[in-house]
Amino acid sequence: MAASCAVGLGVSLARGLVRYAEASRLLAPCRVLPQSCIHTTTALEGNKNWERKNRVLHQPQPPEETRRAAEVFHCRRQIKYSKDKMWYLAKMIRGMTIEQAIAQLEFNDKKGAAIIKEVLLEAQEMAVKSHNVEYKSNLYVAESFSGKGQYLKRIRIHGRGMFGIMDKVYCHYFVKLVEGVAPTEEPRTGFDQAKEYVQQLRNRTIIHSL
Amino acid sequence: MCTVVPALSVQGPGIFPQLHRNEETEEHSLLDNIFWMAAPKKRRTIEVNRCRRRNPQKLIEIKTNIEPCSECGNLKQKHVLCGFCYEKVRRETAIIRGQIQAQEGKPLNNPAVETVVLYEGEKPADTDAGKRIVERKRQRPSWFTQY
Repeated sequence: MAASCAVGLGVSLARGLVRYAEASRLLAPCRVLPQSCIHTTTALEGNKNWERKNRVLHQPQPPEETRRAAEVFHCRRQIKYSKDKMWYLAKMIRGMTIEQAIAQLEFNDKKGAAIIKEVLLEAQEMAVKSHNVEYKSNLYVAESFSGKGQYLKRIRIHGRGMFGIMDKVYCHYFVKLVEGVAPTEEPRTGFDQAKEYVQQLRNRTIIHSL
Repeated sequence: MCTVVPALSVQGPGIFPQLHRNEETEEHSLLDNIFWMAAPKKRRTIEVNRCRRRNPQKLIEIKTNIEPCSECGNLKQKHVLCGFCYEKVRRETAIIRGQIQAQEGKPLNNPAVETVVLYEGEKPADTDAGKRIVERKRQRPSWFTQY
C-alpha cells in the first residue's frame, strides 16, 4: 500500500517518507527498516548500516533475565588511510578494555592510531551520554574492523608514454563497545580442532537410506 | 641565372641509416633482457596472501612499558619524559625565551653573564649579584625550584 503511494510521488518525497518512517522508533519492537523497503540511496552514498545499529530498540526484559549489556556502535567514514594498514590497528585492539586500547594507540606511531583513538573517545562519550553506560571505563572493544572507502582515481605517468591508474585510498573504521568485562576465550589448540574435525566426520549420515 | 642547388635524391629513412640501426639493436637487447627477468608464475591466492599478511611477525606488538605519570597522571612510556609535563615546561620556557629576546633586542646580543629568572615577589639573592635578571609576572610554578 505504501509502495504504490510512493510510486506516484517524486523520488525526493519518497526518500523523505522513508526517512520519517525510520526516525519513528515506535514502529515495531526490534525493527529498524520500514514495511516498504524502497531503495533510496544512490551508488555514491554507500551503506550506512553501522550508524543505524544504534537506533535498534529492544523489548523490555522480564525481571528474571540477566541484564542485556549496553552496546555502542560508532564509525568514521572516508579516512585517508589504507584499509589494510588500518586492519592491523583494529586487530590489535580487539578484545581490549577501552582504557588499554587508548593507551596502546597513544604510543603507536602509525597515522591510523590517532584516528582510531579519536573514534574510541567519541564512542566512549556517546556511551555515557546517550546509551545508559554508568562507568566510562567499564567498556571493552567487542568488534573492531576496517572497510574500504570510496577511492579517487588518478593517472600515474610511467616511461615510454605508458600510464597507470593510481588509487587514492580511503577507508572506514567501525567499532562496537560493550559494557562490562570482556569474555575470555580459551585458545583453541590443534588437538581441539582435530577432535572437532573427527566429530564432524562421525556426524555424517546418509539421507533417504533404509 | 638560377643556381643548381644540390638536392638529395635519397629521402626518408635512408638519410639516417645510423640512428635506425641503433634503435633496432636497442630494441633487440631489451627484448632479450626481458626473457631473463623474474615474473610471478601463478596468481597468489587470497589464502596464501592472508597467511603472509596476518602471521604474528607482521601483527603489531602490544607495549608493556606504558605507565601513568606520577606528576600529572597522564600516560607515559617508562623510558620517555611525560608529554604533558614536557609541554607545560616548554610553554613557560618559550615565554621566558621571548622575554630574553625582547631584552636583548637584536640577535647575538647576549651579555657574558649568567641569567636568573625571578617571579612575582622575589628578590635577587646575594649569589645572583652580577647576573642578568629576567622577570616573569606570575607566581613561581611548583616545578621550577629556586635553589
